[in-house]
Amino acid sequence: MKNTRIRSIVVYLIATFFFVGITYFVYSFINNSQTWALQPINRHLSGDKISGGKILDRNSVILAQTINGKRVYNDDENVRKALLHTVGDGSVLIPTSIQSRFSTELFGYNFVTGFGAPKVANLSKDIKLTLDSSLCATALKSMGDKKGTVIVCNYLTGEVICMISTPTYDVNNRPNLSNESDDKYEGVYINRALSSSFTPGSVFKIITCAAALDYVDDIDKKQFLCKGEEVLDGEHITCLEHHGKLGLEKAMAKSCNIAFADIAIDVGKEKMLKKAEEMGFNKQYTIDGINIAKSQYNVDYASNADLGWSGIGQYNNTVNPMHMMMILEAIANDGEYVKPYIVKSIGEDSLFPSEKHTELKTKRMLSSQTAKKISDIMRYTIKSRYGDSMFPNMQMCAKTGTAEVGEEKLPHGWMVGFSQDKNFPFAFVVITENSGYGIKTAGPIAADVMKKVYKDYK
Amino acid sequence: MSSIIELIIYSIHIVLPFMAFLIVYYNITSMWKNFRGNGPLVVLVNKITKEKIAVNYWENSIGRSKSCDIVLDGPTVSRDHAVMFRRDKGWFISDTNSKTGVLVNNKKINGCEQIYIDDIINIGGVPLLFKRADVIKNDDYVRLNKRKKSMPTVTLMMAVTIFQLLASLELCFVEGVFNYKPLIVFGLLSLIFWSYFIISKYIFKIVNFELETLGVFLSGIGIITLCGADIDSTYNQIIALALGMALFSFIIFFIKNPDRVVKFRIFIAVGAIGMLVLNLVLGTVKNGSQNWIMLGNISIQPSEFVKVAFILVGTSTLERLQTTKNLTEFIIFSVCCMGALFLMGDFGTACIFFVTFIIISFMRSGSIRTVILICSGAFIGGMMILKFKPYIMNRFSVWRHSWEHVNDMGYQQTRVMTYSASGGLLGIGLGKGSLKHIFASTSDLVFGMLCEEWGLILAIISVLCISLIALYGRHSSLKSRSTFYSIASCSAAGMLLFQMSLNVFGCTDILPLTGVTLPFISLGGSSMISVWGMLAFIKASDERTYAMRR
Ligand SMILES: [Zn+2]
Repeated sequence: MKNTRIRSIVVYLIATFFFVGITYFVYSFINNSQTWALQPINRHLSGDKISGGKILDRNSVILAQTINGKRVYNDDENVRKALLHTVGDGSVLIPTSIQSRFSTELFGYNFVTGFGAPKVANLSKDIKLTLDSSLCATALKSMGDKKGTVIVCNYLTGEVICMISTPTYDVNNRPNLSNESDDKYEGVYINRALSSSFTPGSVFKIITCAAALDYVDDIDKKQFLCKGEEVLDGEHITCLEHHGKLGLEKAMAKSCNIAFADIAIDVGKEKMLKKAEEMGFNKQYTIDGINIAKSQYNVDYASNADLGWSGIGQYNNTVNPMHMMMILEAIANDGEYVKPYIVKSIGEDSLFPSEKHTELKTKRMLSSQTAKKISDIMRYTIKSRYGDSMFPNMQMCAKTGTAEVGEEKLPHGWMVGFSQDKNFPFAFVVITENSGYGIKTAGPIAADVMKKVYKDYK
Repeated sequence: MSSIIELIIYSIHIVLPFMAFLIVYYNITSMWKNFRGNGPLVVLVNKITKEKIAVNYWENSIGRSKSCDIVLDGPTVSRDHAVMFRRDKGWFISDTNSKTGVLVNNKKINGCEQIYIDDIINIGGVPLLFKRADVIKNDDYVRLNKRKKSMPTVTLMMAVTIFQLLASLELCFVEGVFNYKPLIVFGLLSLIFWSYFIISKYIFKIVNFELETLGVFLSGIGIITLCGADIDSTYNQIIALALGMALFSFIIFFIKNPDRVVKFRIFIAVGAIGMLVLNLVLGTVKNGSQNWIMLGNISIQPSEFVKVAFILVGTSTLERLQTTKNLTEFIIFSVCCMGALFLMGDFGTACIFFVTFIIISFMRSGSIRTVILICSGAFIGGMMILKFKPYIMNRFSVWRHSWEHVNDMGYQQTRVMTYSASGGLLGIGLGKGSLKHIFASTSDLVFGMLCEEWGLILAIISVLCISLIALYGRHSSLKSRSTFYSIASCSAAGMLLFQMSLNVFGCTDILPLTGVTLPFISLGGSSMISVWGMLAFIKASDERTYAMRR
């Protein structure tokens, strides 16, 4: 009998197996309950038992709502397509979308009652965005079938009024996307405005310019010599034209590569990196709780020529469009930026306390003088190069960029800019992937969108 | 108006987990409290040294070996000399193939003989006087009487009935309008429960009902869950519960005399294998495994009943253990059972049998080497099976990757996770779940349904309750009236625990999905009946079950 007693410990072994397993289950349940519950396979999300909150644009246009247990999106196909990445499509495929990020608020899910809270205590809330859906639709139309992104932002408040990412699709008419190699829908689930980083090309000259203003002595009087090509330690740096002698302002307006390569080399690795990091490179930003892709600047192992290339936005630099927006905000706003945001308020009309976006704290990125100077240089670029007819009455400052991304592919086109008029405090970032010269590809889109902004907001 | 009803129903709903906790807590503590202290049953006095040897167990091995319950240091004492045990009629001593034999009152015994107080037993030259226990001062006995009284049985049973009433009421209002059917289910459930109580208490004179109360509590959760999903199969399940409780009583009666069962083991073994062979010949294939026999409209799963037989065949009294030490017969029987299950394609049940087999062989032999040998043999065998039947590998391929197979191999597991999470801690409400529309939701995936509809708290309480029943089985086996009950109880406990693990972890993708039932709760008549058989083994191991009735 004594033996049997001792040997009965074998039951403890199996019990331990069970307790370890059940503890693991409870642990993963606590950690993942939200992810598990908010899967698209969940019938509760589409069933009539749970009513999802509405998603509204800044003018209270309904972008998504639940009618008779079905998630219904905006009537306009263009609006649906333009806001796909922001609103989401009810699947988990666009993790940065509002429906994914704020599913707890929208569907009233919580860990304690699950979806089981009585209807009387409806926990679902409406979410109001800062976006202007008709502006987004305009941007999408201008974008045509190009891939890329358009962002327009109020640089005084941080409200993002336009954010689109292409390629996109219509939630109500979902294409067959199982064939992932399909070039037309490459990266379709990515919100390029938030989750991508692009080679900046000449728009990076804004950062190099800031470094020049802060670190190069007598930069105002300094003249650079462009012969169309320069050889550094046996490596070539080329310019599009033979610009001859020119100062910083003209170098920016004409986007002279030689001048900015020389500046980067003159400033040196350490100070270039310092300036870039001051301006938010290699740093993690979050927009409404969504981690955006980092912008990268890394010259640790760069040769002299590489450093030169980095000064003109080639080498291995990348820039996230939303981060670019923050840089523009700082330039436009005397060196300080407001973090952009898209969620204006949560649960305004519900019984429960609502959350409004209140954070309007500004952060300094540049000194006020430097910001002013860059702003003027960018204003000169528009006046001297493209003419104010492109952005009539807007006092626009801008920079274009054409980022080489490999031999076989067309370059990415960039255009970024903002208005100096603080009564029209808007900044824009336009990127078109693999399309050609920035001014020819991104330029017209920027002009279209900003004209619409001017019409509606001035 | 409707929202007031909704609020009332929801408040009932959130009361349920707390009631469940109290029911389990008070039943378990009451079960644990009522144990006998550590006092001896009788005493042997060594006539030469005057040493008093306490006889603590109902079955005691006597010999020179350190592993014996009573160690004697005589010149001619064999390693395992004799077994002294208590049965209904009194105390017996049995010579377990010793070299020098056992003398009672100077007469050499042949096999087994009854002994009386003041008899002199001579074992290998050591004369022992058989005395009552009161020659040793019994502190424990005093402690036993001082103990606080535990919650009365009837109160606990009432609590279960109220719990079931509230749950049924919640179910009546699922569609917003009153539906009387769940109350019929409740009525039948209570009828079975309380008639069992009356019959057992007044006819069989049974005094403890905690184990049965917990059994009915768990079965009730299963039946009410089922009632919210598919009311028609609920009635069959209730009949199965009644049959299960009948089997429970029958087994307790049947194994009252373990010596008799041990003698009949061969017939049980043959019967069990016969059932499995019949299954292989006449069986119907359902969901990939051929473990069903159709009898008219009723489908029976013979392997479930073989579980009960398996334990009956495997367990043994101490007397038998000491005389026949090899496991050959049991191994042959086990191989037959598991082989048949493999042929049926029921791998989950085969695993359960295998684990039970290991428990029984270890409890009988105590040899870790044998267990390791068996396990490595099984591992090689398993590898061979995987090699020759690659489709089994498919189950493993999706294991821990079910989110990558949301619409094929991982369909059930992902639904279980999504819907369990939908329930949160308190559950979405009885009958309101969505998991019930998924295939096998009320059997293989029932744990997910518990989480979704009753909430995580109640689901965890239920499985903890089953594991506590199993641990109680192990605990009560320490003082059983025979190793027969100890081994049976531990095997039943292990089997319950392992089967529950396979079910719970299978549907939540912690282990591969094997399609076994959750004891008490899953839909399945055969399974319900056999689980009550297991419970009978645990009940029988409690020494109070066969107490003298005064
Ligand atoms: Zn040049």
